[in-house]
Amino acid sequence: MRIDDLPGELLLWILIASELLIFAAGTTAMMAMRFTDASGFASAQDLLDGRMAALNTVILVTSGLFAARAERDSAAGQRRSARLGLALAALGGLLFLLVKWVEYAREIGAGIGIETHPFFTFYFLLTGFHAAHVLAGVVVLGLVALRARPEPVQAGAMFWHMVDLVWVLILPPIYLLG
Amino acid sequence: MDRLTRNWLTLIALIAMTLALSAFDGRPVAVGLLALAFFKARAILGGFLHLRGAAGWLAAATVPLGIWLGLLWGLNAALIR
Repeated sequence: MRIDDLPGELLLWILIASELLIFAAGTTAMMAMRFTDASGFASAQDLLDGRMAALNTVILVTSGLFAARAERDSAAGQRRSARLGLALAALGGLLFLLVKWVEYAREIGAGIGIETHPFFTFYFLLTGFHAAHVLAGVVVLGLVALRARPEPVQAGAMFWHMVDLVWVLILPPIYLLG
Repeated sequence: MDRLTRNWLTLIALIAMTLALSAFDGRPVAVGLLALAFFKARAILGGFLHLRGAAGWLAAATVPLGIWLGLLWGLNAALIR
């Protein structure tokens, strides 16, 4: 196992590891905080709509497929196809944000806010921080699509897969474990 | 079917299993949900981030993830006893 064996830029792997650690710390803190008010946390979690989260997972992993294809096509010199893949991946990101927006709007409409309960403080912080990464990822995918050169496209795809990876890991503790 | 599409189908199948399992409660269900999250993460790391082709790195990434998910399960199990 050598550093040189890692695909892509080492700096991106450092970024991926750092982001995973940040989200892992936040999620672990949320799980630990449940001990202070287990029933309150469970009642608050019951107000979330897990179907929206499942839909968003499908959207995000599908956009991850398009990003991976764009990376492959870019490496093969197929710029047009790579651009299409990046555009579809970015569209997936925008769809994810739309679904998240609808989810937030419903929750806020039901009187739920960041200070309603500590669970919702963690919920809005973790999912909001993740949504900010999705937005940043859409911008990154758009930027690397301009020239669609192999290395930047690979970097953009890696960032996108990190966003995907974080989502599948934070989803069970936030929406499902109770 | 190419490897990327196969990886995506694996992820979709894991999401479907998560959705089915989430209808139930209890410690074994929590183990199942976290195991499914682990396999989704492994599919993304190995299939989309290409760690499957980087000797030793997939295990280097997934072992700490598995330990962390185990910790989450422990916290959850302590809560629902």
